[in-house]
Amino acid sequence: MNNNEIYKRNNAKNFIYISLFFFIIYLCFLYLGIDFERFFSALGRFGSLIANRYYPVEIPYVLEPGYLGSILDSIQMGYLGLVIGVIIASVLAYFAASNITPSKKIGYWIGKFFIIFSRSIHETIWTILFVTIVGFGMLAGTMALTMYCIGFFGKLFSEELENVDMKLVETIRSNGANEIQVFAFGVWPQVKTAFTGILIYTWDVCFRASTIIGFFGAGGMGWYLKRNVLQLEYARTSAIILSIIVLVIFSEALSAYMRDKIYKETQ
Amino acid sequence: MSGYQLTIDDYSKQNSSKILKKIIFYILLIIIIFLSVYFIIILDTDWHRIGSGASILKQLSYFIGLDVKIMPHLILPAFETFLMACLGTMLGLILSLPVAWLGAKNVTPLGAVSFGFARMLMTISRSVHEIIWALIFVGAVGLGALPGILALAFRSVGFISKIISENIEGADKKPIEAIKAAGGSGFDVMYYGIIPQILPTVIGTIIFEWDINIRRSAVMGLVGAGGLGLAFFRQMHMSNYPGVTTVILFIVGLIVIGEILSHYLRKKII
Repeated sequence: MNNNEIYKRNNAKNFIYISLFFFIIYLCFLYLGIDFERFFSALGRFGSLIANRYYPVEIPYVLEPGYLGSILDSIQMGYLGLVIGVIIASVLAYFAASNITPSKKIGYWIGKFFIIFSRSIHETIWTILFVTIVGFGMLAGTMALTMYCIGFFGKLFSEELENVDMKLVETIRSNGANEIQVFAFGVWPQVKTAFTGILIYTWDVCFRASTIIGFFGAGGMGWYLKRNVLQLEYARTSAIILSIIVLVIFSEALSAYMRDKIYKETQ
Repeated sequence: MSGYQLTIDDYSKQNSSKILKKIIFYILLIIIIFLSVYFIIILDTDWHRIGSGASILKQLSYFIGLDVKIMPHLILPAFETFLMACLGTMLGLILSLPVAWLGAKNVTPLGAVSFGFARMLMTISRSVHEIIWALIFVGAVGLGALPGILALAFRSVGFISKIISENIEGADKKPIEAIKAAGGSGFDVMYYGIIPQILPTVIGTIIFEWDINIRRSAVMGLVGAGGLGLAFFRQMHMSNYPGVTTVILFIVGLIVIGEILSHYLRKKII
């Protein structure tokens, strides 16, 4: 067998793989009932929708005091959800970190379970559930964001806790410190910076989520969005989406600045 | 020399002003907490409607139990959700390749113009929530799985293209220069010089994004795209609370499967 034949055979193999891949995608499309004509014209439709309906953006709508108040509502929901969520998540993460957990058999699994459970349910589903339990309003949104923060912050922070240097912890423990002292003097100084960084990142994500959960009955900007979507007020909808983009960019810039500052201070 | 001397008094003054600043910062934070508690829990909440703790527990107890009858009807939507996530991630990858090419400083063709344009696209894609993307696409292409796929794709573009362009910027320059010196075109540089270097990280990123997309595609049905979200929406509107619990269990199961798969795949690649 010379090189040419191997080359030809490889080419044929690749060709078979690629055509199989496209065939599977074709089957997926058939299964999902997607019209190919619709799929390939989707970008054009998207563009014409933006240009014809959403385009004349009604900026004055988002400058009305009612809407500005709802922005404040969203920020407050995000903030309170973050604070409560982080407090609960820190405790859970302490239990769910396999190296420093006080009880390996029960506490570890309980912490891990709660973090995974609150992480795997999307924030909008949490909102719907809490709205059915406590009714419409910002309380339901705050609870939903709390669950969201527990999942998000808990996962990142417990991974951070699992990466601490165990030598220091063992030294302190062998000197007769109890669990609280071990955490305060052995673990906490090592994860302090990471804690702040993750906190700021969680705030960023939490604020992004708080702009939308009003769509399902919690307060804030999402409620205005839902109203205008249902009323087919495209100009106002696009203004609200634009305002969300601006706010998210602003909060992202702020959190990047804060993280940079903290990074510099610890160096 | 006297200008550079730091006496103990000066030092303690600086230190105390620093501590004062810190204290003011924390007091401000606590005041904001109290304000938000006041606005949310006292002003905005209708305690009368919620009632006592017993009525909350009663409301919660509706959710206990499983609806076995709807389980067979959930398997196909679960599969649909899974497929939506896969196709959405794939389409997102295809869409993010040109954006990443424009958004990497060292290969962008038109300098600051195309770089800024690509960065703007990435930011818009990331800052618009997937529910809003789904709403827009339901308006554009109608109900079904297609708006869900498109929404997931547009939402993933920001993250994937950001990672890819950062990797392109950080790629080793020596092979690129060698290909250039041998007379390779821009495409050759991309295909033989850059892509082999960034491939492992990019595949890891795609698997990570796919994992998140499963979570997102489970809620696409709430605004008109198909999948488990639609089943959740129906059960919720029929006030069939055990059914709601069942759908949530299916969602959690699907996500756990996705997490295990992505963990295994990432390990295999690295």
